[in-house]
Amino acid sequence: MDTQHTKPNYLGVFIALVVLTATEVAVTYLPVPRLPVLIPLSITKAVLVVLFYMHLKYDRRLFSGLFLIGVFGALSVIIVFNLLFMPPLLDAIK
Amino acid sequence: MSDIAAQHEIETGSLGVDNRKLAIWTFIASEVMFFTGLIVTYMVMRGRSTAGPYPANVLSVPLVAVNTFVLLGSSFTMVTALSAIERGDARGLRRWLIATAVLGLLFLSGQAFEFISLAREGASLSSNLFGATFFTLTGFHGLHVFVGVIWIAFVLARAFRGGVTQDNHLAVELVGLYWHFVDIVWIIIFTVVYLLRA
Repeated sequence: MDTQHTKPNYLGVFIALVVLTATEVAVTYLPVPRLPVLIPLSITKAVLVVLFYMHLKYDRRLFSGLFLIGVFGALSVIIVFNLLFMPPLLDAIK
Repeated sequence: MSDIAAQHEIETGSLGVDNRKLAIWTFIASEVMFFTGLIVTYMVMRGRSTAGPYPANVLSVPLVAVNTFVLLGSSFTMVTALSAIERGDARGLRRWLIATAVLGLLFLSGQAFEFISLAREGASLSSNLFGATFFTLTGFHGLHVFVGVIWIAFVLARAFRGGVTQDNHLAVELVGLYWHFVDIVWIIIFTVVYLLRA
């Protein structure tokens, strides 16, 4: 890790993670659509951990590139599975 | 060539980064795809069971939410351990690493309790498509947590022998990267499997 950067506020990130998780759980008890709320909250939590706890925000770009290759592969898997197992989506594309 | 220079040459490749750190990030990238495969398979298969138990009937959000807070807490203790040794605080490193391992074991205990509860409800690897994909996904994640705890124990043993210092703490950084990644996987699993249970 490049130690020349200002240290992130680790406790602040932890509090944000706890608040976001509590919000997620609360949403499941409310009469609101879950998917459009929960997925962005979940992705926000994951990004916070990657950027600040895994230090990708401050580390070499090479590591970010490697990680993004994995994420790109993951998105490809998600798209392919959706095309294979969700015929309406496939029909819409046709 | 001095020993330090020779060691530097071995550990730093042509890309100018430490080979061990490059290796762990490459491993993490492959693990992203591995877990995505398991998660998407679960999403596709969970609603296709022809007989129960079904996820909406047997999965307990409150229990797993507590476990989620435990794992989030362990990420905080892990990054605090790294921060401690970066300041030269070897005692703080040991204390926070122990806390991380304990939280990891607590998470595994919670998962074992959940698995036993689900088994009592009739869910198992062979019960239906939900059971097969659920236990494969969460079981593999639990296995990763277990490996993480073992890895932390090795780093801790090295720290107690004085092998981890302010100038030589890459071992802590590597196990930390792995541990945080396992935490990220759980963040996604918690949302997709439990909060969005069909």
